[in-house]
Amino acid sequence: MLLSKKILILFFLLSITAFSQEKITLSGTVYDNKNNETLIGVSIYFPEINIGTTTNQYGFYSITIPKGNYQVQVSYLGFSTIVASLKLLEKTTKNFKLKEATESLDEIVLETNIEKLNIRTPQMSVNKLSSATIKQIPVVLGEADIIKSLILLPGVTSAGEGASGFNVRGGAADQNLILLDEAIVFNSSHLFGFFSVFNPDVIKDVKLFKGGIPAKYGGRLSSVLDIYQKEGNSKDFNVTGGIGLVSSRLLIEGPIEKEKISFLIGGRSSYAHLFLPLFDNDNIAYFYDLNTKLNYRINYRNSVFFSGYFGKDFFGISENFINTYGNQVANLRWNHLFSDKLFSNLSLIYSDYFYGLTLDFVGFEWDSGITNYNIKYDFNHYVNDKIKLSYGINNIYTKFNPGKIIPNREDSGIVAEKLIDKYANEFAFYLNTEHKISDKFRMQYGLRYSNFTRLGQDELNVYANNEAVIYNQEFKRYESATLTGIENFERSDVIASFNNLEPRVSMSYIIDDFTSVKASYNRMVQYLHLLSNTASPTPLDVWAPSGKYIKPQLLDQYAVGYFKSFKDGKYTLETEAFYKDIQNRIDYINGANLVANNEIETVILNGKARAYGLEMLLKKNEGDFQGWFSYTLSRSEQLTSGRTANEPGINNSEWYSTPFDKTHDFSINASYKLNEKWKFNSNFVFQTGQPANYPVGQYEIQGLNVPIFDDNRRNADRLPAYHRLDISATLTPKKNKNRKWQGEWVFGIYNLYGRQNAASLAFRQNQETFRNEAVQTSIFGIVPSVTYNFNF
Amino acid sequence: MKKLYILPVLMIMLFSNCEKVVDIEVPTIQPKLIIDASFEVFFDKIPVNANTVVKLRLSADYFEETIPTVTNATVFLTDLSNNTIINFSDGDADGNYEPLNPFIPIDNVTYELTIIYDNETYKGTATKVKSTPLSKVEQGDKTLFSGEEIELKISFKDNILEENYYLFNIDFYNFLTIEDRFFNGTNYNFSYFYEDENIEFPQEIDIKISGITKEYFTYFRVLVDQSGQNSGGPFETVPSSLLGNMINTTNKSNFPLGYFHISETDTFTISLVEKSN
Repeated sequence: MLLSKKILILFFLLSITAFSQEKITLSGTVYDNKNNETLIGVSIYFPEINIGTTTNQYGFYSITIPKGNYQVQVSYLGFSTIVASLKLLEKTTKNFKLKEATESLDEIVLETNIEKLNIRTPQMSVNKLSSATIKQIPVVLGEADIIKSLILLPGVTSAGEGASGFNVRGGAADQNLILLDEAIVFNSSHLFGFFSVFNPDVIKDVKLFKGGIPAKYGGRLSSVLDIYQKEGNSKDFNVTGGIGLVSSRLLIEGPIEKEKISFLIGGRSSYAHLFLPLFDNDNIAYFYDLNTKLNYRINYRNSVFFSGYFGKDFFGISENFINTYGNQVANLRWNHLFSDKLFSNLSLIYSDYFYGLTLDFVGFEWDSGITNYNIKYDFNHYVNDKIKLSYGINNIYTKFNPGKIIPNREDSGIVAEKLIDKYANEFAFYLNTEHKISDKFRMQYGLRYSNFTRLGQDELNVYANNEAVIYNQEFKRYESATLTGIENFERSDVIASFNNLEPRVSMSYIIDDFTSVKASYNRMVQYLHLLSNTASPTPLDVWAPSGKYIKPQLLDQYAVGYFKSFKDGKYTLETEAFYKDIQNRIDYINGANLVANNEIETVILNGKARAYGLEMLLKKNEGDFQGWFSYTLSRSEQLTSGRTANEPGINNSEWYSTPFDKTHDFSINASYKLNEKWKFNSNFVFQTGQPANYPVGQYEIQGLNVPIFDDNRRNADRLPAYHRLDISATLTPKKNKNRKWQGEWVFGIYNLYGRQNAASLAFRQNQETFRNEAVQTSIFGIVPSVTYNFNF
Repeated sequence: MKKLYILPVLMIMLFSNCEKVVDIEVPTIQPKLIIDASFEVFFDKIPVNANTVVKLRLSADYFEETIPTVTNATVFLTDLSNNTIINFSDGDADGNYEPLNPFIPIDNVTYELTIIYDNETYKGTATKVKSTPLSKVEQGDKTLFSGEEIELKISFKDNILEENYYLFNIDFYNFLTIEDRFFNGTNYNFSYFYEDENIEFPQEIDIKISGITKEYFTYFRVLVDQSGQNSGGPFETVPSSLLGNMINTTNKSNFPLGYFHISETDTFTISLVEKSN
């Protein structure tokens, strides 16, 4: 810690700037008037001098401007804009409370300023959705879903229905940094991918960074999904909930001491017998989420937050088969205002992912997991009206449990075995500058330094010449090398250490009030690898840290964009082009077994990846009819070359499609507000089918019919194209008006025209006709749903 | 005892109701020689006997209905300990080659299989792998997922002194590969859930346990995976080519498919009865 203190002091020194007599600082926090939730990303704008800022993740803002009398506009989408006259002659603290827009104010002209600011800020490649939008988007079985909604925006895809995770700009699912109140979440989905783990009622703000990622974030290559939970209503006791076909949710929030201490507790649980109708035996499947938050606004300078998330999936069939997994996150934060220009947040975070499996019929229990302890100290320093600095440090200690097998009954015959635990520490510090160079030109530039240390473990495998994989020339295949020894370590020993500098730059040039161009470059480093050899990750996949045999993944991403708003911001157009280059992306040798493998390095081949594409998003932001049209044209490829000229690598050392390469990805979302009672929403999605492998022939061994696959055409074929149309209608009964109880019905139909989209294509022999068939599996046909949401 | 058990479960649970056969045009390749030579020595039988058939076929396009047999090859085995040669012939021209004189592979001897076909020579070697007798197979009354399966409780004693790999063949085409890593030296027991929609009781089925090499274990695991017994889905592993241990010594690039392997095998016959529920 001594080192980090020194670095902090260094930062303070760096950021001391000359004090200017003519300028004063206005700072404060912006709240939602109804419940005192702080609001993220609110625009504070001075039209006379054309200067503005936005609130940070904790609702805080600070702006330094020349002394004088001004009009200030405080505006936020969905809220009425506050226009106030301020006499600013000295350092001033001013909190604002925004009221939710009533219908008549819906089209308030001043809202365009939000768009103007978005056009001006150098930050690009961000997808944002409000919780209200997410709840209206029609989804399968009526479960409002953050990730399934984000997929409708450009640059984001998933491997399909029932597939975990999501892919951003041709990146793998394990390359997404998912943060819930700043804590890392390892598992983003329930029921093997059907639903995401985030309860939409609890969510305050969702942002997905696809590129131009600020230096504050690190540790994953492709994206940052930054989610903040609500703090809890500190004015009134409030209950929100919903009853759906799959699950029900309930959120209780309220003040413990008015406007000072508030709590929030939210739960969501599926019904226990989800799959019961399918089979007549004793099976049970459910998931639940519990979100908790307690916050204490001690005084103007200090606030403390405690938040927790506990999610679990359970899936069991009598006592024969029990599968349970889930994430637990706990987090303590302290906001402190050193001055009206220096905001700080200290976070202590614990995060844990657990996977357990009991198979009684073979007589064992299996469990694996990953646990991390994370300390972060972040500062926002509003130096002057031109420069805003963010800097901080971050240290994450991680323990990996790759698995443990234990007999589950006395007569089992299984001998307990523990795969070797692994330990690592990741340290980083960063400095990020938002710099308004001129009225037309702004930059955000920063640098992140990261160090990853693989700490000593009980046993480390040793191979001849350090080669864990060997190529067998005779049989033309990669094989696992045999162990030649074991090295033993103390926990404090260093097995391997990596240092990386990660520069991040983005800039915007404002052509006119409605048009800008932006460009960005970012380097990211990822020290963890999810071992997964399937089209989408599974809950039993384990994480492996970089070390002696596995190198950290490195990414360079370049992006340029053109942004325009029309008709006073009624319409916005965002277009971007990106190119990504990734070093050290792993793939696996043929026949690799990743489960319970204590010598995982013996099945791994090192390679690279690249992705490039064009994204377009046209949005209508206001009016009774709103929506967007999004299109992505992209390519995502991998290359795994032989280490020497005698080795073929994968796909004969030629580029091949990643399993999530989708050439065209097109979606439309439209919502229409007919009247106070009825609102309609619909999606249309079209995507190129995902890569597949068709057999080139067949043969028989011991009576088994086996397809022949050609190693030189990896992922060369495709599943049929994916498309579907969904609709939903929201009914708000009229009787709501004069009562506290507010209810609404959401009726939806997913996949309206019953398209049988292929989730996979299996080539197999029909067991009755003994003829070979290609069998397409699709998951959802037409799925109607109804959900009732309430609030009182 | 791997994902083998877990993933098909998810597939069955989640995808079973929405499958359909589709027309797909698949790529084709030049036919390859397929060598299916898995010798079994029934060591627990009196007298000891063996299955030593070498099946030769050609690969076919995926949707082809028949798989061509190879009847005009020269097939022989060399005992590398003394270089004696055992000749094979395909008497009834069905592509199945049998030794001219009954022959039982012996312990600790490496045999080389030579096949000459279409002016190209293919070679591979194998040494008999030890197995262990099945101590017991019983019918149980548990079910797994569908409620229709028949539980087979299988037990055997693993040899503690060596790393063992086993191949189970349960009735016709149900194969299971197991390694002793997690039960070395114990009296191991597990349940296999046998499913046959057209079963008529009482039904006699045969269960075989064979000792196999580590390489054949890996080979067979992938083979079973790819044969479509796991019906795909987003959790399906990326398919890849599967090369065995036979080599074309004349023309390396025209590699054959299939395997030459010699195992000790024990069999157990059980008569399945209808469950009383």
